[in-house]
Amino acid sequence: MHIPDGILPVPVTAAGYAATVVVTWYSVRKINQKENPRQDIPKASLLTAAFFVASWIHIPVPPTSVHLVLNGLLGAVLGYFAFPAILIGLFFQAVMFQHGGLTTLGVNAVIMGLPAIIAHYIFRIRRFGNQESRRKTGIFGFLSGAVAIGISVAMFVLILLTNIPADLDIGTERAALYTLAIAHLPLIAIEGVITLLLAVFLQRVRPRILDGV
Amino acid sequence: MKLGIVDEYSDLGSLLHRWEPRCKLIGLMVLIFAFSFVRDLRMLLAMVVVTITIYIISKLPVSFILRRLRYPSFFLLVVVLILPFVSGQTIVMSIGPLDLRQEGLIAVLLVVTRFLSILTIGLILFGTAPFLTTIKAMRALGLPAILADMVLLSLRYLHEIGSDLQKMQTSMSLRGYKKHCFSTRALNVAAWLGGSILVRSYERSEWVYKAMILRGYGYAPTTRGEFQTNSRDVITLGVFLLIAIGFITGDILYGRGVAALLQ
Repeated sequence: MHIPDGILPVPVTAAGYAATVVVTWYSVRKINQKENPRQDIPKASLLTAAFFVASWIHIPVPPTSVHLVLNGLLGAVLGYFAFPAILIGLFFQAVMFQHGGLTTLGVNAVIMGLPAIIAHYIFRIRRFGNQESRRKTGIFGFLSGAVAIGISVAMFVLILLTNIPADLDIGTERAALYTLAIAHLPLIAIEGVITLLLAVFLQRVRPRILDGV
Repeated sequence: MKLGIVDEYSDLGSLLHRWEPRCKLIGLMVLIFAFSFVRDLRMLLAMVVVTITIYIISKLPVSFILRRLRYPSFFLLVVVLILPFVSGQTIVMSIGPLDLRQEGLIAVLLVVTRFLSILTIGLILFGTAPFLTTIKAMRALGLPAILADMVLLSLRYLHEIGSDLQKMQTSMSLRGYKKHCFSTRALNVAAWLGGSILVRSYERSEWVYKAMILRGYGYAPTTRGEFQTNSRDVITLGVFLLIAIGFITGDILYGRGVAALLQ
């Protein structure tokens, strides 16, 4: 779900970079407001690498397989580090594996990163009310995972179909929109379930990780 | 998944290898954005010529780029296969029930040429200097310290965590786990696998932080003047900026490319 180089026009890629600079600046400002911001950098960095590696895990969905995105859980765990972490992950993808691109780095970061921040706030809701329970962690884990990937898919499809350098009629565009949206529904469900299972696993094994970086 | 090492030929001695990293970063990134501006087919030809010329100057082996083209974007492949049949009105030929359209073919040509040219320049940018030097150049150009530290630390542990995952997957296979069918068990196993990777990394990060503090993390003297720019670097940067301006001006002067060509 990364938009490669060569597809989007310059105004869109420039707007993507502008939005990325603003969100990164805001995230870094929030991180610097912590008592000891340097203390969290190794934790955030290693978890960034771990999320990057975890995205190589494939789930068999015959006749193919899908890989995890985990931007919802990443937002839930890393908080304000989530956007820089996604930016770094996408940069590695573009430079090392030629997935995504350098001109589209900003747009792709917005597509993946903004929903991660939304997921962070969704996951925080579990702390309200009574004591944290596994059920609440699971429910808000599912919601943060599914909502994050759902918003990412919607942004990806909209940006792509409105900017692709091709003369598509309204009927074709609408058909493509529906096809892409329906094709991604299983991914949204799987991502939600995996985020639920992962959140419950982390709460059982190492609950401190869920307290955020 | 094998990690793609992009700076394996960073010790060659070409003009681009010797170019001061900050100037190179600015010059090649501006050129990349100029390429993404191009919509005129005649400018596409010039783009291919410029890209090949820069690649030859960089002295990077052809195998370096061919290996990376082995994993082209799946998404790009889909665009290439679908666009010629759905975009535009002018039918060039019919293949069974499918109509091949001129506008779609031109759009594919545009997308693929821009993609390959930008990818090649990106590989030259990161392939002609050690990755650490390029990150330092980004830092010198204003990349926040938090981001620079995160990039370097993530990269440092990416290989180790990747190798952990590989070992865990091998252990799972040896114990009889088959990942070919979809089931709730498959989802559970994937979640436990991902969770184990996260827990291990979290624990490791606590040790890493202590080790970094002991080595003076956060109190290192700021290094000034790490990069020295000479007149040759500035002239090379000027040439690349002129080429980039040339592409943008040329595209504007030739009219709005594809649209003008179809009229």
